[in-house]
Amino acid sequence: MTFIPAHVEKILENALVCSFTCIDGKGRPVTHPLLPLYERDSGNIYFTSSVLFSKKLEYIKRNPRVSALFSNRRFIMSDEFHVVLVQGDARVLEEDIHHGWEKLLPLWRKKEPYIDAYVKQRIALPLFWERSIIELAPRKLYVWNDGDMSKEPQIYVR
Amino acid sequence: MLEDVREYDEAIVTYVDDEGYPFSYPSSYRIEDGAVVLERHGWLKKKSSDKVSVLFNHITPLPTGGYMDRRYIVLWGGIEEKQDTIRFIPSRRYSWDENKVHFFQYCEISVPRGRRYMQLLERELGRKLKPALSLFSLFFRVTRLPFLIATVVPTLLGAAVAAYHGIFDPLLFILTLIGVAAIHLGLNMANDYYDTKLGADNVNTTPTPFSGGSRALQYGLITPSAAVAMFSSFYALGLGIGLYLAITRGLVPILSLMLLGFILSFFYTAPPLKLAYRGVGEIAVGVGFGPVIVLGSYYVQTQGFHIAPLLASLPVGILIALILYANEIPDKRADALAGKRTLVVRLDDRTVMKLYKALIALVYAIIVLTFAAGYAPFTTLLALLTIPTARKAVKQISETYGNPYYMIPGLATNIKLATTTGLLLAVGYIIPAAYNLLIT
Repeated sequence: MTFIPAHVEKILENALVCSFTCIDGKGRPVTHPLLPLYERDSGNIYFTSSVLFSKKLEYIKRNPRVSALFSNRRFIMSDEFHVVLVQGDARVLEEDIHHGWEKLLPLWRKKEPYIDAYVKQRIALPLFWERSIIELAPRKLYVWNDGDMSKEPQIYVR
Repeated sequence: MLEDVREYDEAIVTYVDDEGYPFSYPSSYRIEDGAVVLERHGWLKKKSSDKVSVLFNHITPLPTGGYMDRRYIVLWGGIEEKQDTIRFIPSRRYSWDENKVHFFQYCEISVPRGRRYMQLLERELGRKLKPALSLFSLFFRVTRLPFLIATVVPTLLGAAVAAYHGIFDPLLFILTLIGVAAIHLGLNMANDYYDTKLGADNVNTTPTPFSGGSRALQYGLITPSAAVAMFSSFYALGLGIGLYLAITRGLVPILSLMLLGFILSFFYTAPPLKLAYRGVGEIAVGVGFGPVIVLGSYYVQTQGFHIAPLLASLPVGILIALILYANEIPDKRADALAGKRTLVVRLDDRTVMKLYKALIALVYAIIVLTFAAGYAPFTTLLALLTIPTARKAVKQISETYGNPYYMIPGLATNIKLATTTGLLLAVGYIIPAAYNLLIT
């Protein structure tokens, strides 16, 4: 059973993009826009990363503390809007970088319906489709209800 | 550093909190005196830090799902509280805008990183890793299989002229086709191997499906030694079949054409001749895929030479050389860097297009004159049906000249022009040949 409240789950499920941050070897935050894939059953957020853009994978392996910020009303495809910061610990899953990430395709397809057409063209960009999975297990949430940043955030801890 | 950050909805400010986790929040912002001035929220705990990143991210969501127009900027620097504002002073930045650097190019630039990471992973997992492609996909990509159409067309044309002259042996045709196709696949792979060795493919960050080589070596799909083994095998197969045909159908003529074809093919990129690097690659391709293949295919069938197949070979040779010529346009920068002095590198852009148009006009002139001179049947004028395709190719290539990814449709039309014209020309010889066969 996840500790994530339903109104927050709605944001995680319907965000087209989030700001994912890991920490580099010098203790500096490194933020990238990434497509978040929220899995209700586990309460985890998944991301995939091509080996072409693998720096973050190396950082996460050295320091698993990461965060994902869900902000910008225009990027949340839902009638509700809250700004949500998820902090947690990440694991890089890459036993099978060829096909392991394909299990996330049902979640991915919901956000990018055209993704299957790209996957079929794997021959065109073979290295792009060699992908690791980043599994983010949330431990703490900061929620600014209705996106009101002037107020203190509500905090939920696992 | 801040000149292009004004047009984003928000700044995402991130620092590492006291628990050691990244803490991010969105903020409105303005640019002032080389600094990003951020909102000062009452609940904000950390108001100064020298390790802060600020992300500016943009996408345009699509009503059908997904998004487009990706661009982002990441700045690193420090924040400090000054009176009632928080100021961020950037010291480093990283950015990507897909409207400026196409996604394919962005991926291509990142290939060395991707390969390094796969090598790291190989060590972690204790097993070999290379991009997963089915055996057929791998063969398809590594050999650039679709380009075989450039072999099928002239081989068919030579046999079609022979059939028009009353002689056609399907088994000999198939054997010729396999032999010539093997030489062509050898050419494709030798070209990749030597273009990689000589640096032209390595510095090319804007390959397209039609230019920049197969990228098999750049992506680690095969090793250089495997490439050598493969092109050697293809050449051995092609030369073996050629030798058999020479012994059975005409030693000196077939051997001469085969050796000329092999030299043009292998030394197209390979040292010491490196024909493509000296601005004669286009002529080599035109001669190789035109007169050499058409006359060879004709001779295997008829055991003789004739001016008709030579004239028929000229439009096809020119059009196949024009495939190469147009495909060199996206590679111009990389070719110039690698010292590959192709015609496109040597000529200025206006002259490149003028020559392209002039050669297309020449193709149709040869087709008409060959018929007018009585060396081709009336039905070969069917090839003129491709004139609208030629106009479309000229228009598409002119309009997108120099932009590798926008050129892709034009390059595809150019290939369609060469193959359709060649096939219609062959059909033009086959129709009277079939008619003669049916009435006798």
